Amino acid sequence: MDIIELRQVTKNFGSLTAVDDLDLKVPMGTIYGFIGPNGSGKTTTIRMIMNILYPDQGTILLFGTRQRNQRLDHVGYLPEERGLYKKMKVYDVLKFHGELKNGKNLKQEITYWLRKFDLTAWTDKKVEALSKGMAQKLQFIATVIDRPQVIILDEPFSGLDPVNSEILRETLLELQKSGATIIFSTHDMNMAEKMCDYIFMIHKGKKVLDGTLNDIQNQYGSDTIRIQTELGAGALEELKGIEKISDFGQVQEIRLNTQADSQTILAEIMKKSRVLRFEITRPSLHDIFIRIAAPERKEDNHA
Amino acid sequence: MRKILIIALREYRAAVKTKSFIVGLILVPVLMGGSMAAFMIFKDNVDTDDLKIAVIDHSQLVREALQERARLRNETEIFDKENGEKIKPAYILEFIQPDSINPFQQKLDLSNRVRSGELHAFVEIGPSILHPDSIQENTMIRYYSEHAFMDDVRYWFSDPVNNHIRQLRLNEMDLAPEETRDLFYWINVEGMGLVEVNKKTGDMQEAEKTNELQSFLVPYFMVLLMFMLVMMSAIPLLTAVMEEKMERIAEVLLASVTPFQFMLGKILGSISISLTIAAIYVAGAILTVHQMDMGDMIPYRILPWFFAFLILFVIMTGSVMAALGSACNDNKDAQNLQFPAMLPVILPLFILVPVMQNPTGNLSTWLSLFPPFTPTLMLVRLATPVTIPAWQPYAGLIVVVLFTILSVWIGGRIFRTGILLQGQKPTLANLISYALKG
Repeated sequence: MDIIELRQVTKNFGSLTAVDDLDLKVPMGTIYGFIGPNGSGKTTTIRMIMNILYPDQGTILLFGTRQRNQRLDHVGYLPEERGLYKKMKVYDVLKFHGELKNGKNLKQEITYWLRKFDLTAWTDKKVEALSKGMAQKLQFIATVIDRPQVIILDEPFSGLDPVNSEILRETLLELQKSGATIIFSTHDMNMAEKMCDYIFMIHKGKKVLDGTLNDIQNQYGSDTIRIQTELGAGALEELKGIEKISDFGQVQEIRLNTQADSQTILAEIMKKSRVLRFEITRPSLHDIFIRIAAPERKEDNHA
Repeated sequence: MRKILIIALREYRAAVKTKSFIVGLILVPVLMGGSMAAFMIFKDNVDTDDLKIAVIDHSQLVREALQERARLRNETEIFDKENGEKIKPAYILEFIQPDSINPFQQKLDLSNRVRSGELHAFVEIGPSILHPDSIQENTMIRYYSEHAFMDDVRYWFSDPVNNHIRQLRLNEMDLAPEETRDLFYWINVEGMGLVEVNKKTGDMQEAEKTNELQSFLVPYFMVLLMFMLVMMSAIPLLTAVMEEKMERIAEVLLASVTPFQFMLGKILGSISISLTIAAIYVAGAILTVHQMDMGDMIPYRILPWFFAFLILFVIMTGSVMAALGSACNDNKDAQNLQFPAMLPVILPLFILVPVMQNPTGNLSTWLSLFPPFTPTLMLVRLATPVTIPAWQPYAGLIVVVLFTILSVWIGGRIFRTGILLQGQKPTLANLISYALKG
């Protein structure tokens, strides 16, 4: 069953089309990653799902129905730019949000989540006393305090240190195992690759990718070589059949032309330098993102 | 409704739990009561140093009379009757011979003596005070001091001079004082209410003497209280909503509630705050007035109207303030909008006196049926001793209810759009556009 469905949804802000004729289906119990450059329409899409913005055209179904106000009680939402009442105490904030969502066993839930995110000592402190990271964790807890069936998170990992990012990642996977459907937007392609069952990319308001990571990578084929040589990027100069070289310092990634032969290229490189690593692979999500979002900003074009 | 109540409860707790709320709640009556108490305490507690006043009597007629009146005052009126303590200054009069050669120099010299503190003031009595001639200056009494306005000494001079001159005039007419007693008997016009029939007993009921204090104080107090309550509960919604928008609290909440529920919750919170303050102040005022044995001044019949109009006024103003707050992007926007938005609350205060003077006049009637002014002006009209037509308060209530519904509806449409829009200035055109498009 699709828990969220968008049918030909369009949203305009004046002359700007933020979301253009978008179709999307989010199956129940999955983790769905929304990616796209800044200003591509991710947040607008999420806000329309949350009924905060209304689409100009198209239909949005939540739990299979258009009557969404009641259903929104089962959706937890963490916006990208989040705010809390600074003068409220941590416990009161969570109780307030839990009550708004008609949450059950709030006292136990608050105790559980505060302990999980190591915030128990701050229970009776005011929000203004928390650090930015702590406030972000508190905001996340407020989103899931009522154990919603759908959790929508706009940039949940931004601003978190690696330890807290890991805790958040584990928590999201736990929530998924307990039956929740999770949608999150991110600029961290690595996180999206590791966590998401499905990835949806929007660019200039239009859907450009939608599917499992495997499906998406298959669309692009095995046209990428990850290589490490003693000469570094210098060994790749003046090679024929290369679309693009991405130099990461120790490792370089080469995207091949459709007609190019990887073995010929390997032979050419070996003439110049010792090859420490040579891996034919499918393009990473990061690479696919770059190919779509910034074709004009190629680092090196050998076409 | 449950969500509206949760938001309202949070608003209420956030407001009443603050120190500033409690301090403000206590401070207002303390300041008002304190200033009245201070006035009562200090009104007789004046400087008791003797005051020396020079008198230039061009008429040469009132010297003895003034001296005698001053002596009488200094012997009997400046001491506390119970403990004999001196509570007022004695007036020491110094009579100066008029300088007919250089009168200006004489007055300059006396002015310098006042400046140096040797004299409190000096008085110049015109030469023709007994029989006024065509030269107005000759018939005047001039009082020269550094602070002639509101100076008790200045007012003191009038009586002894005029009484003595009147007596001199009567003497010239050869009339005995007892024959002229009735001549100067001044009759006041007494203010009365209207005669009515007691509805329970059917008996004729004598009209009551108009209580000037009650006629002014009761309406004034009620309107002032209503103004204060709206200022404390509904007006702050503008900045509160603006801050929630700018601090991105609004978007978090809009995932749980609709914009309309959000706005209504905030307004309901404001109503609760204003009712709490009103209950405390009204109860406090009733107790105080009873303690002062002036219980009959309390207009119990108006209290239901007061609370009904208060609730509607807070909803009406609150919805406008919340809507405007949602359209603001920073404090500057809020400051620019706050004053014009407050005008419907402030303007009725400027026309209170004419409405109190003539509550049944056309101006009072029509202005009190203009919805933004109705809560204030209809309440004033109800609070005066004058009976206004019975249908008018109900008509006022109906127009306010309708206008309040309209305000909430338009406010809700502006709020829904404004609360999520960043960077758009709250111009009139934008506000109209939000209201129309919703």
